[in-house]
Amino acid sequence: MTINVNSLPQVELFGQGNVGCKGCGAAIAGRQAMKVLGERTIITIPASCMATLGGSNTRSAWRVPFYHTLFECAPAVSSGIRAALEIQGIKDVNVVSWGGDAGSADIGFQSLTGAAERQENIIHVLYDNEMYMNTGGQTGSQTPIYAITSNGSLGKKVRKKNMLAIMEAHGIDYVASANIAYPEDLMAKFQKAAAKKGFSYIHILAPCHRGWGIKPEETIEVARKATECGLWELFEVDEGKRTRTYEPKLIPVADYFKAQGRFKNLTDEQIAEFQKFVDDYYGKGE
Amino acid sequence: MNKVLITGSEAAALGAKLAKIEVLSYYPITPAFPAMERLSKYIDDGELNCKFIRAESDHSALAAVLGGSLAGARSYTVTNSQGLLLMTEVVYHVAGLRQPIVMGVANRALSAPHSRFPEHGDVVSQSASGWIQLFCENNQDILDNTIQAFRIAEELRVPVMVNYEGYLQSHTLEEVFVPEQSKVDAFLPLKRQPALDINNPRGVNTVTSPDFYPYYKFNQNEAMLESLNLIPKVAAEYNQEFGANSCGLIECYQMEDAEHAIVAMGSIVGTARILVDNLRKEGRKIGLIKVKVWRPFPVKAILEALQNVSFVTVLDKNIVFGVGGALATDLKAAAYGRGEMVINGAILGLGGGKCGVEEINAAVMETESAGSDKNKSVWIGL
Amino acid sequence: MALKQLPIVPSGDPGGLAESANAGVQRINRPVISDATKIDPIVILFCPDGAISLDESGFVISYKFCKGCGICAKESEGIVMVPEYTGPKGIF
Ligand SMILES: Cc1ncc(C[n+]2csc(CCOP(=O)(O)OP(=O)(O)O)c2C)c(N)n1
Ligand code: SF4
Repeated sequence: MTINVNSLPQVELFGQGNVGCKGCGAAIAGRQAMKVLGERTIITIPASCMATLGGSNTRSAWRVPFYHTLFECAPAVSSGIRAALEIQGIKDVNVVSWGGDAGSADIGFQSLTGAAERQENIIHVLYDNEMYMNTGGQTGSQTPIYAITSNGSLGKKVRKKNMLAIMEAHGIDYVASANIAYPEDLMAKFQKAAAKKGFSYIHILAPCHRGWGIKPEETIEVARKATECGLWELFEVDEGKRTRTYEPKLIPVADYFKAQGRFKNLTDEQIAEFQKFVDDYYGKGE
Repeated sequence: MNKVLITGSEAAALGAKLAKIEVLSYYPITPAFPAMERLSKYIDDGELNCKFIRAESDHSALAAVLGGSLAGARSYTVTNSQGLLLMTEVVYHVAGLRQPIVMGVANRALSAPHSRFPEHGDVVSQSASGWIQLFCENNQDILDNTIQAFRIAEELRVPVMVNYEGYLQSHTLEEVFVPEQSKVDAFLPLKRQPALDINNPRGVNTVTSPDFYPYYKFNQNEAMLESLNLIPKVAAEYNQEFGANSCGLIECYQMEDAEHAIVAMGSIVGTARILVDNLRKEGRKIGLIKVKVWRPFPVKAILEALQNVSFVTVLDKNIVFGVGGALATDLKAAAYGRGEMVINGAILGLGGGKCGVEEINAAVMETESAGSDKNKSVWIGL
Repeated sequence: MALKQLPIVPSGDPGGLAESANAGVQRINRPVISDATKIDPIVILFCPDGAISLDESGFVISYKFCKGCGICAKESEGIVMVPEYTGPKGIF
């Protein structure tokens, strides 16, 4: 499935006038996804940057029904929305819950695993900026090892929790990783997810320049490096079948780390450790 | 109308079924679970066309019900004690979003120490949440109040809790008159008001500045206060349609010439009636006020009922630590500046503690001997 | 703000923020099309603010929505960032 940028709908269902920072990776993810999800979509977003930037007083940045939920429960709310639509015989609507890494993997994990286990007909998105940005950039389970955060000046001591593996273990219809630097790949995945009858999980790497210590204009470039160096693999598990959807060029991982302030304390040994991991994973090790 | 012998749990479930709820979610907890199981059975048996969301927690249960309500479905849940406390964040949120959700609460004492037994402590914790709170004296009240709750909630867009006590009501059989479905349908016409409407998209719960927030809260409070006018009207209409005997905000029992009044809510009201009858036989001018609506607090109705009363004994099956019983505290505030009336509170029945005729009698005697020390609550049965 | 003008459910009008957008307050540099023939249309999907569009007349950048993040200029040829304020020494 290829997506032609020139033939995408002109209508901007989300993005214009959003009150986020300039260069916001989360907003980029939202725009790309909405180009495929379309106007028959109801979206719930738990407390996060994405919830905050989506509406202010009597104005919404969305042209579809959008609801800024409490922090822990967007997938549960979406389950209820789906139930209400079904009882009213409304069938052609995508119900999406769209959480940050905290709202999906940490405080929001309980309702996410619950909805996934029930095989609810919804799409859950984890847009991953790898920290708690809405409260200033603290460490969470999706923060990578060694990354410096606003409450972790020495860098994180343990690894990032593997949410994609956890969600795959739920046996849901569709699991995919995505990256805002690869819009066609991302949008094709949303298209597949929208067609499923059961639960879909899409985990999007969406850098936050403030948290990552990069310049706003580097948001896409750094996101791309994450995939090209092999650390953020693009793949999908479609009804149990795993496919790598993009073959990375496997540039040195150092190119990715050195571009970011949050990894400024990384030692050469630590970088080598990552490089070995990637080399082994892609079968390049000796 | 047909008469059945059912538990309070069944009365709650039957009320929700007659109201034709469309979205149900709950998370099992004792003693609310029999109402939950009964509702699920109605759905499984095809007697109720309702979507059930098997939530993984109480918090998610109310969140799912909220999603259903926001998308336009008539939505219901049941819980109590720890479940209600875990839901608390969503409880306040639902009220702020003005969603007409009805929730049964099978009142139970809060941990610690662990207790499974009846008490009002759980809902007292939600007193400022913006939910209307109705209390039930018996299983008939549970059924009647549940049906009326949907009408009140949907008309005012204020959520309603229907409180009944664990075991004492949830597990106790009583005769209940059941209204006919067709009449309930007419009493509860379904008018969808989805906030999340695919054909009329809005951004719900946007970040709100100080220029707007107080106005939303003002409106929310106005709607809550308006229920003091609406609830008696709904009850009157209900009584007329169904030949029922549902009170409005409060019910006065033997209050015409009463000098001493007992004020209470929940199952203890039924027992207090017996005591009042006994004391009346001894020639005491005592009466009883049953508080059906605790939130909002029906100040005017209660003060009117207390016009000629000089002494009030308030029965509280809850304790607000360092303050006293919640109902007594509300009443004292309501009666501020009103002459010489003495209002003394009694705390009894905590965690399933005894509250029979004997205990209520002790409450009357001991509150009397506590004199006019208004800050004192007497603990009964220790 | 009169009380009655508020919706019952706290909520905002669809696209209301787009209509009242004032993204320019964040902008220090603005993107300018230097050579439309060289623009990669993918930048439409990289812009966080939906500020770039492509219609019959070609690429258009809306300064109502553009916050000046510079992603488009970084990711594609044919767009350059120029200082928003051109006063003495570029200071504003
Ligand atoms: C129950 C509760 N606890 C804490 C918060 C405060 N809070 C709001 S957003 C947030 C962090 C969100 O992080 P994430 O999900 O990663 O999204 P991001 O803001 O990074 O995009 C926190 C801690 C809250 N809103 N509710
Ligand atoms: S500078 Fe940023 S906000 Fe402005 S058009 Fe380019 S990508 Fe969009």
